[in-house]
Amino acid sequence: MLLGTLIYGLITSATLALLSIGFNITFGISGVANFAYGALYVITGFGAWILCNMLGFPYPLAAMFAVLFSALFSALVYRFFLLRLRGMVLSEVIATFAMGLAILELFRYSGFIGSSYTLPVFFEGSLFIKGIYVDAQRLFVVGIAAGATLLLWLFTRHTRTGRAFRAISQNEFTAMTLGIDSDWTATLSMAFGAAYVSLAAIVILPLGTISPMAGYGILINALAVCIVGGLGSTGGVLIASLIIGYAQQFTESYVGTHWIMIVSLLAIFLVLCIRPSGLLGHQKELEERI
Amino acid sequence: MKRSIFTCLLAVSLLIILSLGQVNAAGAPKEIILGVPTSLGTLEGKQSHMAAQLAVEEINNKGGVKIGGASVPFRIEALDIRDASPGVPVPEALLGLQKIILEKKAKFIVVGPFRSEAILAGMDIIAKYKTPMLATIAASPAYGAKILKDPKYKYCFRVGADGRHMIGGMISSLFMFKQKFGFNKVYILNQDVAVMRAVANLVKKIAGGKGFKILGIERFLTGSTQFSSALMKVKASGAQIIVSIFDMPESGVMIKQAYAMKIPAVFVGMTTPMHDPSAWKTFDGKIAGVTNEMVELSNMPLSKWPKSLVFHEAFKKRWGTPVRVGKGVAPAYESVYILKAAIERADSLDPDAVVTELEKTDYVGLLGRTKFDKAHQVVYGSDPTKTALIGNYQWSKEGKRVVVSPKSMAEAEVWLPDYMK
Repeated sequence: MLLGTLIYGLITSATLALLSIGFNITFGISGVANFAYGALYVITGFGAWILCNMLGFPYPLAAMFAVLFSALFSALVYRFFLLRLRGMVLSEVIATFAMGLAILELFRYSGFIGSSYTLPVFFEGSLFIKGIYVDAQRLFVVGIAAGATLLLWLFTRHTRTGRAFRAISQNEFTAMTLGIDSDWTATLSMAFGAAYVSLAAIVILPLGTISPMAGYGILINALAVCIVGGLGSTGGVLIASLIIGYAQQFTESYVGTHWIMIVSLLAIFLVLCIRPSGLLGHQKELEERI
Repeated sequence: MKRSIFTCLLAVSLLIILSLGQVNAAGAPKEIILGVPTSLGTLEGKQSHMAAQLAVEEINNKGGVKIGGASVPFRIEALDIRDASPGVPVPEALLGLQKIILEKKAKFIVVGPFRSEAILAGMDIIAKYKTPMLATIAASPAYGAKILKDPKYKYCFRVGADGRHMIGGMISSLFMFKQKFGFNKVYILNQDVAVMRAVANLVKKIAGGKGFKILGIERFLTGSTQFSSALMKVKASGAQIIVSIFDMPESGVMIKQAYAMKIPAVFVGMTTPMHDPSAWKTFDGKIAGVTNEMVELSNMPLSKWPKSLVFHEAFKKRWGTPVRVGKGVAPAYESVYILKAAIERADSLDPDAVVTELEKTDYVGLLGRTKFDKAHQVVYGSDPTKTALIGNYQWSKEGKRVVVSPKSMAEAEVWLPDYMK
């Protein structure tokens, strides 16, 4: 039981990391807490499904187009709507939350309900690890999470745009004095964030079914991880994913499955009480801000 | 003076014309509005609405409801009260129930709220406005208990099966595997909502008292997608049968994951995603051997009950899709016909008169034989000439749902999936 918990805890943590990195990128660079994040996950899933099942696209192509569409959609939303609200935090939250709700409800209203919407897995079969069968697709999720994180690290260290991301997230005004266009960089960060959550959708959704209701759960989990880890800190997101992932898995194994959601919400509550900036967050403590 | 007489005459004429608009020449209503307040965003709610609409169209095409010497059409007013959505409070859902009665002027309600929590709270609204309701989805036995206890709830009926029927079907499926294969070790996995908690507890109690060893129970919040730990516990316990009690789409993930984790136990119970005829394709054929209870068996075409074949063909022709759920649809269709018959016998829309006639219902139709007991609940059983039908089917290796109980409808016996041998 313990070994199984450890293995599935790693899978859960990797899943949370993959789901949360995009939210963290967007907030860290553009400053926008994108509450339509869960909706982007669902858009990608249904988008790929529609391309595959209604338009006859091969699945890899459908997946790629769905990810690109999600990224482009986010960039356009930021450029033509959210940019006008930049700096007005509450308005940004309300606007993105409303947009997310509208998208999810539109899918529900259009009849995308029930359990018949699925995506094909990339890898069939299971691997036998020390007495525990683990499906190959879940291990693929771990691999993708690791690869995506490495890619992000390499991107932000060795590319011009990536370094611009880091510059904006460290100090926007100084970055602007060096000629970095903050609006364009922020737009790109929204697209990147959307691309990451879309990638997560493509590899995670084949494990289950696509449902509009999934969008709400994705947002809560991403928020929990980013708040615990520290908004804007990728390292914090990774550590928080491990903490929350294993906490959820151990809760499920040794306490009860119906307590899992409370783990995420309790984590948010405790962090906000004890260390509001999160484990590795860059936001100043209240005393420093006053 | 002439002007004032003319004005009076004009006013009286207008009043007469307006009132004629509400009733026809014989005093019968112009139409009978049936309210369908339910979670239209769920498959059960949506398809139940479609089934009721189909019945209304069939009845109207044949002339409508005969009342007061005239033929009056039905009309459906549907409202999405979202009571099935997590986070929607019951009072908010009940506002929808009230709206459909007061604003949409529904004389009768069919289908009703999705969740038991909402329907139980809504019974007071039904009693207040004396609007007979024929519920089809919500399944809490507390509904019938309230009707028995307090006569003010006499306007509430249930055509769909309730939680007690679910238990009967599940216990019978346990016995099928016990008698044929000697299986008696059971693990229960259920969704954490009122009726399923109650069903799970009763299955534990009843099965435990009939020689089955209940090795554990795990509960999952609506929307859960993590089942790995629970499945590991099932495997570690040595369970041979998993009783699965879910109505959320995510529960199909659990069965897929159990297949991947090679859990050596058969699934019985009620897992809603398995009802969909396309489930075989959805779950990549990994559901062969899953035995599922269909608490209202007529929600699937039954080769030995021709009335069900007629309905399913008409449904698919009208809506372009088969019935994809196991609860609410066939009873919704039947409710409209039952109501029609009761209104015609009462020859009135007076709620008390219609209720009296509803209580006398003895109708052989899609569900089997429909009769209400003292708690205004349709009686379900295994013989369609005596009761409405409840039963189990098992997914075959060829990807078809094959009825395995009751004996009157069975097309085959239960079999063991390859991974269990």
